[in-house]
Amino acid sequence: MLEEEVEEKRVFKIPVGPQHPALKEFENFTFTVDGEKVIDVDFRIGYTHRGIEKLAESKTYIQNLYLCERICGICSGAHQGCYAQTVEELAGITAPPRGVYIRTLIWELERIHSHLLWLGVAAHEIGFDTLFMLIWRDREIVMDLLEMISGNRVNYAMNTIGGVRRDISDELKHKILKGLDILEERTKYYKEVCMKEQTILARAANVGILSKEKTLKLNAVGPTARASGVDVDIRRDDPYGAYDEVPFEVIVYDTCDVLARILVRVDETIQSILMSRWILENLPSGEIRTKFTRKIAENEVLGRVEAPRGELLYYIKSNGTDKPERLKVRTPTLANLLPVAEMLKGGYIADIPIVLAGIDPCFACMDRALFIDENSEKTWVWDKEQLRIYSIKWYKEHGKEVVRERWKQ
Amino acid sequence: METIELLILILKFVLFPGALFCIAYGWFLEWFDRKLYARFQNRIGPLLTGPKGVLQPFADFIKLLAKEDITPAGADKFGFTVTPLLTLVVSLFTLLFIPIASLSGILSLSGDLLLVLFISTVFGLLIMFAGYFSGNRFSIVGTERTGLQFVAYEIPFALSVISVALATRSLEIVNIVTYQVNTLKLPLIVIVPVAFIIYLISSLAKLEKIPFDVPEAETEIVAGWQVEYSGKKLAFFRLATDLKMVFVSGLAVALFLGGPYGPSIPGLEPVFYTIWFIIKTLVVMFILSNLRSLFARYRIDQVVRGFWKYLIPFAVLQILAVQLLIFLGVI
Repeated sequence: MLEEEVEEKRVFKIPVGPQHPALKEFENFTFTVDGEKVIDVDFRIGYTHRGIEKLAESKTYIQNLYLCERICGICSGAHQGCYAQTVEELAGITAPPRGVYIRTLIWELERIHSHLLWLGVAAHEIGFDTLFMLIWRDREIVMDLLEMISGNRVNYAMNTIGGVRRDISDELKHKILKGLDILEERTKYYKEVCMKEQTILARAANVGILSKEKTLKLNAVGPTARASGVDVDIRRDDPYGAYDEVPFEVIVYDTCDVLARILVRVDETIQSILMSRWILENLPSGEIRTKFTRKIAENEVLGRVEAPRGELLYYIKSNGTDKPERLKVRTPTLANLLPVAEMLKGGYIADIPIVLAGIDPCFACMDRALFIDENSEKTWVWDKEQLRIYSIKWYKEHGKEVVRERWKQ
Repeated sequence: METIELLILILKFVLFPGALFCIAYGWFLEWFDRKLYARFQNRIGPLLTGPKGVLQPFADFIKLLAKEDITPAGADKFGFTVTPLLTLVVSLFTLLFIPIASLSGILSLSGDLLLVLFISTVFGLLIMFAGYFSGNRFSIVGTERTGLQFVAYEIPFALSVISVALATRSLEIVNIVTYQVNTLKLPLIVIVPVAFIIYLISSLAKLEKIPFDVPEAETEIVAGWQVEYSGKKLAFFRLATDLKMVFVSGLAVALFLGGPYGPSIPGLEPVFYTIWFIIKTLVVMFILSNLRSLFARYRIDQVVRGFWKYLIPFAVLQILAVQLLIFLGVI
């Protein structure tokens, strides 16, 4: 009896989030720790819920392009491109080859920028601020390239239904090629740093292990799955855009740890640079977009792309008007959340940030509040306003208890 | 006459090379460290306050003094208030033993090397108290880590100092400095280079700098032991950290780099010695800043294992080497 009490006292809970330096967005993870060891992980999602899916039902297909882009700040191109592509299939139109190539170029440049951003964040999480600063300096090159092409650094607004909105001139092509050369050289250097630097190896090798079986069972996607030896890539398995023509390799590592996740992303960045160069050199001539009629007959389509973080799913249902009946998004972070809980168990507190960052989480993408009633297996979706009313009501009833409990802890 | 001598002594303690000089120099070292660290990372660093941003640490201090000072409900109020003050006072006190403007510090006793070592150990204890008293979960983890890291770095630190004491056969800082100036006519780093390296690595851990900033690892446990401190208390802790930098680099200069001694014009020794002291400490700081921009943060178990597996055996070997040199009559 007494021993049990002592046992209980040794174990205590550490909250990471909703606000924590290791998380760039709001999400709550509660870790049960014994000294430096993590015993259990519990997470609560939904802090960045914005009611986007509900909002999409009240906007036209064209307006939704810009709404979908704002689901995520980093993979905005993937979201918008996936949406545009899915609506094209819904309406039964095809974008002209030049438009598709430019769209694919944006996807690949975005992958470079997203992976370099992640690499910097990963370096910061293990306390290697010098690498963080240098990588982010070089990431500016690809940001500038994207700005030159689209006029924007983050939300490119390049895609439209039936193609893209801006063309790439020959002059611009040369500038992009020049920028890609510098990026390739720098990325290769960073790969060398990540493979040789002893402190990185000490912090990343054999940390946050996720076995191949668990990966398949928990349905991890993207670089997280590829770092655990699972050979999946939507670009190759279900080609979309120009990916059936662009030559590229799917990078797979099988050491299942954080180091593998780092190396997968560095190698993918190099692949993306090569792909971007190939696309620019083989850019077909012709129109960049086709006409699109505003109304779409009743239909439903499930579209998917390989976003920088993994498989991104869009389900759109049309009902004959110019607005979608239903828009459903499944982002890669949601798929990777259960695997990350598995990786964290049994590790050290010191490994929490790098392992959490290891899946390249993007919580704002993920939070679109789906409620599941465990007893009746009923599911329903709330928008922002309903949530707001609910939260006000709930806090009126329970507010005092919550505050008291927080103080107790 | 006596009153004048007393006045001079008071001025020595308060103005130069005592408290005020050390505090100002601490801020300067912090600026130097931040600027270098920024340049190594291809950033600019402090820029706007004063020429090249040199007054930035001072501005930070003033700003923190004006900030709201919160004592959390779960904290031990007395300990929470006293620890920052105590840390500041202790770090100022150790500086009195560091030779700055002459070959001896303001205070000099026989066996003061041991006293300085002891007080520098108190730094680690005070940090543990600081974390423990604030009663926050992150602080508790930070405190645990401080304790563990303390076990790791304190012994190699002491061993490296002991090899110096053995080589000079003295436990008095002034004797160690005069030995280098008069008897050896060389800085001791020539005789005990390994001890100097071990000293630098353990002082990185003592100052909680990357790769040994485990107790306050920002991305892991927010700010570790100092997470609850704000306002004046945080300002005192930060000032104490700056003073610790002066202490660590000053002791390194005294023990390994021949103290503040250098070529000077007779009669103007205090001025020249101070300049030599500043140059030598800046060299030490340069090495420390360089080291901290090169690595990622280690995990606490890796820190402890590394120190015990590599640094302590090397420190012992260094002591044996010094013994051998004494036996052969080289020193």
